[in-house]
Amino acid sequence: MGSPAAWGVPAARPLWWTLTVPLPNPPVPPAPSNGPENGPEPRPARAPLLTVSGVSRRYGDRVALQPLNLTLAAGQCVAVLGANGSGKSTLLRIAAGRDTPSTGQVGYGGRVMSEDDPVVRTEIAVVGDMVSAYPDLTVREHLQLVAVAHGEGRLAAGLVDRALAECRLEGHARALPGSLSSGQLQALQLATVLVRPLRLMVLDEPEQRLDPAARRWLGGLLRAEKEAGAAVLLATHHTELAAAVADHVIVLSDGAVTAEGPPDVTLAAQP
Amino acid sequence: MTVTRDPIAVPDSTEATFSLLRELRRGRGRKQAASAAYWAYLIAIIVVGYGGSLIVTTYRALRHPPPATAAAPRLLHAGPAALTALALLVFLVLLRDALWRGPVTVPQATADWLLGTPVSRRRLLRPRFRWAAAGALLVGAVAGIVPAAALVALGLGGGSGGEVLRLAGAAMLSMGLLFAVATGVAGLIERYPGTGRQVRTATPVALAAAVVLGGLAAWAGLGRLPGAVATVLLWSGPWGWAAQPVMAVAAQAGPAGAGNPAPWWPVALGLLAGSALATLACADRVVAGVPAAALRARARTLGAMSAAALSMNTRGVATAYTGAGTRRARFHLPPPRRRELVLLWRDLLALLRSPARLVSAVLLALLAAALAAVAGHGRPVSLVLVGCALSLGYLAAAWLCEGARLDADDPRRSAQLPFRYESLAWWHAAVPCLVLLAAVGVPAAVAGLVSGDLRPLVLLVVTIPVLVGGALVNVFRGSFSPALFVGADTPVGNTAALSIVFWYAWGTVLAVLPMTVLVSSALGSPGSGPLVRALVIGAGLAVGLGAYAARRAGRLRAG
Repeated sequence: MGSPAAWGVPAARPLWWTLTVPLPNPPVPPAPSNGPENGPEPRPARAPLLTVSGVSRRYGDRVALQPLNLTLAAGQCVAVLGANGSGKSTLLRIAAGRDTPSTGQVGYGGRVMSEDDPVVRTEIAVVGDMVSAYPDLTVREHLQLVAVAHGEGRLAAGLVDRALAECRLEGHARALPGSLSSGQLQALQLATVLVRPLRLMVLDEPEQRLDPAARRWLGGLLRAEKEAGAAVLLATHHTELAAAVADHVIVLSDGAVTAEGPPDVTLAAQP
Repeated sequence: MTVTRDPIAVPDSTEATFSLLRELRRGRGRKQAASAAYWAYLIAIIVVGYGGSLIVTTYRALRHPPPATAAAPRLLHAGPAALTALALLVFLVLLRDALWRGPVTVPQATADWLLGTPVSRRRLLRPRFRWAAAGALLVGAVAGIVPAAALVALGLGGGSGGEVLRLAGAAMLSMGLLFAVATGVAGLIERYPGTGRQVRTATPVALAAAVVLGGLAAWAGLGRLPGAVATVLLWSGPWGWAAQPVMAVAAQAGPAGAGNPAPWWPVALGLLAGSALATLACADRVVAGVPAAALRARARTLGAMSAAALSMNTRGVATAYTGAGTRRARFHLPPPRRRELVLLWRDLLALLRSPARLVSAVLLALLAAALAAVAGHGRPVSLVLVGCALSLGYLAAAWLCEGARLDADDPRRSAQLPFRYESLAWWHAAVPCLVLLAAVGVPAAVAGLVSGDLRPLVLLVVTIPVLVGGALVNVFRGSFSPALFVGADTPVGNTAALSIVFWYAWGTVLAVLPMTVLVSSALGSPGSGPLVRALVIGAGLAVGLGAYAARRAGRLRAG
């Protein structure tokens, strides 16, 4: 396992982070637990932004996710690890409001999570499966579109330039999506989180298709976002990335939580 | 709860986003217009080139419609049930369309890039719904020409061009409004996905109702259906209301003395128009709430279908459609120990896991056998009936070749199997042959034993492998070559259209045409000569088609 420091340095902050003011901490509510067998539950220092309570998912007879609790506060990162088919993506889809749990519920900022809720669309950035890009819009125009759609019209040009630079897409700013590699398309997806305001990032294996240098950059980006106050829910196969950015790690196997806790302890116990 | 950052106010970014998109695409407008003009030109050329004579014939028929025949009163009696059945089927198809496509669709890129933003869904989706409703009205009106043309061809169009136009107008208006009602209901189904379950449940009921209506139409054609039943049918719902104006106009234009089964047709038309307005207004109000998940799934399906359709890949279109909502049965079948049985096991599993395909194929096969039996009792035996029966049988065989299709879709799939790819065509023939023999052969054997005539059973034994062989020839045809569009110029025109038809239906033609002649001859002659000839030539044909399918499979793998 690599050192967290190897995952890069914090990136430059987008403008809106510097303009927001932290609110005073309210009383800390008790966090839901995944059961005594899963190890000690971390005491959250702050109340959660995202609350996943008793969420499970079945597809017919198949249990994709067993009942699970999860809380995520602003400035916190929870990494979900597990083999293929262990339930990571299912958990993230449910947490982002893109799938309905069979049991339990997901709350976001005191409301029931739904991707159709305008507040959710405004505050949560989701990076998951490869998306289909507009074939007639360039990379820069895609980022412009996202910035404007999120109400950043006046700042769009600066934000887009910064995002292109951070994601090493400057040389492809005028390129159409059809001419990009899969790694560059993934970088474009990640660049969208830099041109919009957000409070929560839900990232499903964002490191896939990225080369090692880009992965290091990704580590830096996530740490910077987290330190600026974003909550990050991350599913990954890379324990190094989890160790570099996560405050809490959940390990899934066949849809069940097999281990959880601080990354240094939990990851060290993994085979 | 700790809030480390202020909640972000939902921005009013819709107009700015749409303006930006318009601005970004301004330069590309001309290119898109040129592309649209090219397609319009292409369609016009095809319509004029291939449909020119049809248009001229239709125009002449409009001016001088065929006169009413002696069967006209009986046809008018059958009309209410027949038109209601047709309208019900159309309504059902349009509602089922909402389960996978729906009136509100967005391109895949829009689904991926805009649905997750605060852009107003109302502004994004409402115009699309309104365009879809207008399009449905237009398509419905055009579709209305079909029943009108059928009635004119049957001699129910009246004696003048004016009467034909009145009939066409009534049919176009009715169908347009029926399409509008269905689009409104489909919009509601798309908005509330839970209602899809009810549509699925209602589908077999509606199909059964349509079959019953077809039976009632046949009954009415013989003059035995009470008028009250026809009245009930015509007021049974939007499908009945849509039939009324057409029936009223046809009855007025029909032979003197034929009663009008729909004297209150203006009320029915009003009800239909009112329903259309009400459902469209309801859907228009709620359409902004169509879940993003539903829009994304539909966009994905349509994207896959469009890509497949553009490359003339009919299998790809079907796969995208079935992937959109077909539920697979979780059926388990223990794998065999002998390697020779592995493909049989695999094919059987593929069928058992899509029971709808298996049941449909069996029903088609039984229908084909019934049609062949009817044809066999006629003297002389009708080639058309036998051809229709064998075509239905071919369809049943083709539906059962799913296992072969799965291997033909991607030759790499079978790389782990202990067989040469070329030989797969032979192995894949086994299950369809066995299923068809079991489904049709058993009843045929029973009927043969009862009647003492086993000739149909013998014919069946040789016909089934031929039909399966033809289906396998089509399965392994590979991907469509754009070179087929070029064709060759001959004194009677370009061969492109013919080449394309034969490319898709080569296996069908090879199997159905010769067997139609052989089976008709064997059924029509009491002697054993035609039967033996059918057996020998049919067996040779089956082997030849199998070998041809294997050869095609070899070429498919070689790329």
